[in-house]
Amino acid sequence: MIAPGPEVSTSTSSSDRRPSKINVRVLRQDGPGTPPYWERHQVEYEPDMNVISVLQKIAAQAKTSEGKKVNPVAWDCGCLEEVCGSCTMVINGRVRQSCSALVDRLLEDNSAEIELQPMTKFPVVRDLMVDRSRLFHSLKRVQAWVPVDGYYDMGAGPRITRDDQEQNYPLSQCMSCGCCLDACPQFNKVEVQRQAGESDEAFEARKKGAYESEFIGAHAISQAMLFNSHPVAKSLEKERLEVLTAPGGVQACGNAQNCVSVCPKQIPLTTSIARAGRAVTFYAFKKFFDR
Amino acid sequence: MTSTESSPSSPAGPSQSFLKKYDFLIRRLHSLSGLIPVGAYMCVHLLTNASLSGGPDVFQNAVFAIHSIPFLPVVEWVFIFLPILFHAIVGVWIAMSGHSNTRNYTYTSNKRYSLQRITGYIAFLFIFTHVLHLHGWFHWDWWLGLVEPVGMAQFRPYNAASSLAKAMGSLSIFWPLFYLVGVLACTYHLANGIWTAGITWGVWISPKAQKRASVACAAFGVLIGLAGLSSLAAVIKTDPVAAKEVEDKMYKVRVEGRMIKPDAHKTTDGHSNHE
Repeated sequence: MIAPGPEVSTSTSSSDRRPSKINVRVLRQDGPGTPPYWERHQVEYEPDMNVISVLQKIAAQAKTSEGKKVNPVAWDCGCLEEVCGSCTMVINGRVRQSCSALVDRLLEDNSAEIELQPMTKFPVVRDLMVDRSRLFHSLKRVQAWVPVDGYYDMGAGPRITRDDQEQNYPLSQCMSCGCCLDACPQFNKVEVQRQAGESDEAFEARKKGAYESEFIGAHAISQAMLFNSHPVAKSLEKERLEVLTAPGGVQACGNAQNCVSVCPKQIPLTTSIARAGRAVTFYAFKKFFDR
Repeated sequence: MTSTESSPSSPAGPSQSFLKKYDFLIRRLHSLSGLIPVGAYMCVHLLTNASLSGGPDVFQNAVFAIHSIPFLPVVEWVFIFLPILFHAIVGVWIAMSGHSNTRNYTYTSNKRYSLQRITGYIAFLFIFTHVLHLHGWFHWDWWLGLVEPVGMAQFRPYNAASSLAKAMGSLSIFWPLFYLVGVLACTYHLANGIWTAGITWGVWISPKAQKRASVACAAFGVLIGLAGLSSLAAVIKTDPVAAKEVEDKMYKVRVEGRMIKPDAHKTTDGHSNHE
């Protein structure tokens, strides 16, 4: 992906000093609600590996570094080019995409070991796979779309000024990976356990109920701002601001600003949050005094 | 890590649903109360205290001015104590709803977030102890009879500097150190709180504007902190005996000139005669 420049060639020359094996510590979990446990794996070093290729080797070996046979480690991935967000996990204590986590860089920070954990704020499905449905449910709550459903021709859309385009384009790059949520001290894990004999529908409804009173998260606030500045999607502005002032709305933000620091797409999330803060200030005043 | 196991029909007790339902209003009132009246009061308070650097007479005049406010106990409760109580209790609830993660995410803003909560807890303990130490919380006789013998409720408004200096020196260097930590924690909490309130209410939006605001809030914090530190230095330097002589003269002149009504409760001598 990245052409080897002069910096890379220096690291190649130092690769003689690199261990021929890579130690990987994985936080595994056999299923929802079961206790997590650490497991050590060792794989052959190859140049230009990323965490996904390490995980592929670990799964193929299905053997711990002590030689014990184990089930292959499960993980999620999709595009392998940091645009789908599905391979997001906590690598050496920090949330990021495993496809763009290059092993050579990770070994520069800590040559002894690479530590892999599932995302900390979402329920674990198995090993490094998590259920990020809360993230997508938040996007549904703020109606993060342009409401133009229909079979009739609506004509050309309204013009969007250059300034608006420049403000909106960065926000549209969100890939819903959840890094902003995992690093947020105000975004707490909500895990709803399935009850015995509970139907799919009842379980889903209970999950949604639990999600809705908790913090909606930086990604949804930013998408609400994106669609509130779209000339057509603006028609749902009030509905979005209503969600942003509901329990778990923008007021739950604690201004730690980790979201913007960890965002792999460098989306100005804290700018969106402050814009949302201003929008709900006016909205709340209007709602209170106009009623 | 929290896990929620509640069914959709009963999302916990009625008290929690009240807090949840008015989440936005409560948090915005919390933000507002931190600025006005609590933050504004803190500035006035520290500047008044800093006037002690000009000597016990300057400070005593400032205290006379404050004690000429009509219905002072009502003003204290409505504009100072109750807002502080509200800000403190809601603040603890907010702080407990978050989970600090500065170990893995060592960004400055994340440390500021954690520090805001830590200084909030310190300020909570400091302010409640400080008000008990000097004001006493309540001025019922039976209550004062309980707390005064243990070194609380020590401030006498008409012997301001001398009673303050005595109270601060009563436990070796404990009180000066306690006030040093407390005042610095409150100063950080207010300065950083103004910055976060500006984001909360949507005053500074862009990263550049937030950076500028951050510098301005830091400068404000340094000024307020200096006012606090100079008051503390002035208290340590004050000689209670010499100060009391000045204050008693000022009190006598004010009473004779009918500028204040004699109030034994507010003087050191009258107070001790009363017991």
